[in-house]
Amino acid sequence: MAKKKKKSHLKDVQEDAAMDMTPMIDVVFLLIIFFLCIDFKTLEAKLPAYLPKDRGSQSNPEEPVEQLSIKIVNSEWGREIVRKPEHRGSPLNKEGRKRAYKLEGHLCHWEVGPKRYDDMEKLKAALEKIATDPSQRVPDKDNPGQTKVMSVVIEPAVGATYGDVASLVDVVTVSGFSEINFGGGLGKRKQ
Amino acid sequence: MSLLEDEVEREADMDMTPMIDCVFLLMIFFVLVIDLSQKDLEDLILPMAKYATPDDSPPEVRPILNITQDGRMVYRKNVRYDPIQHGDDMSTVGELLIEWKNTVVQDMDEETIGGKLVTVVNDPILIRADKWTEWHWVGKFMTGCSQPEAAFWKIELAMSEEDKEVRLYSK
Repeated sequence: MAKKKKKSHLKDVQEDAAMDMTPMIDVVFLLIIFFLCIDFKTLEAKLPAYLPKDRGSQSNPEEPVEQLSIKIVNSEWGREIVRKPEHRGSPLNKEGRKRAYKLEGHLCHWEVGPKRYDDMEKLKAALEKIATDPSQRVPDKDNPGQTKVMSVVIEPAVGATYGDVASLVDVVTVSGFSEINFGGGLGKRKQ
Repeated sequence: MSLLEDEVEREADMDMTPMIDCVFLLMIFFVLVIDLSQKDLEDLILPMAKYATPDDSPPEVRPILNITQDGRMVYRKNVRYDPIQHGDDMSTVGELLIEWKNTVVQDMDEETIGGKLVTVVNDPILIRADKWTEWHWVGKFMTGCSQPEAAFWKIELAMSEEDKEVRLYSK
């Protein structure tokens, strides 16, 4: 009987020595869930812009001011490819709507006055030059007797996308312009 | 005999650790998934910003409008304008802007514009559109913002700090 008891005590010690994996598995699950969920929160950035206050009022628009006009011209719409690879065989969803797509080969260029730019870096350099040129400054209406960097009006043509415009606003802002307006004719691309 | 009793008692003790672990796990899961600040945001792929400032301290008052690739305008998970349903009739957008003016925004000024007294809204609107959404739809919304009855003039364009399209759907 005594022998038996001794054996069971030894078994106990052995059991205690066995590694308990539960906390480790818990922590691993916790980390998996954490990294899965963190994807839901995308870090976003913002670009400020302004709309003309006088649009829509039928008479006496505000005094015209000198603005730098930048046109976005869509040279190539590109090939629409359904975004999710698993849906590529069926371009329409159950409701008969087009599935979200990405564009391959979408091209646009920019026109600042008569000058055409195909490269964003070259456009940025040109804009920086204008923003820092004292002769390009315009009278500041809010502070009489002072000058300021002229405002920019972005004119997206038919076929320009939100991505094209936002990228341009991004570059215009970093080039030193703070007043950004939008113009251009509205028009939907013919499909 | 006393040794056996000891063993039985030890086994009868309830181990709370797994339960606490599970509770923490569930708490973290729900905190991350049901984040109330995300309810305004549609699952869109935004264009990537190279230089834009991170939107880490958003203003307290800022309506967020989402515009999908097919031109639907979504506010808080509700489609407020659908090109298929509404066509050229943008009155629902006008109604949405007036709704914001009456209930959401706080900073407003009276200004005389074009000989008319207009209540101008100084709080910004955040526009979130898919990177391939045609600008036509964003422009249409902006036209609505510029109407004297709405008179929103501050706009923020949402961008992403990474190109999710490249990461998720590069194939």
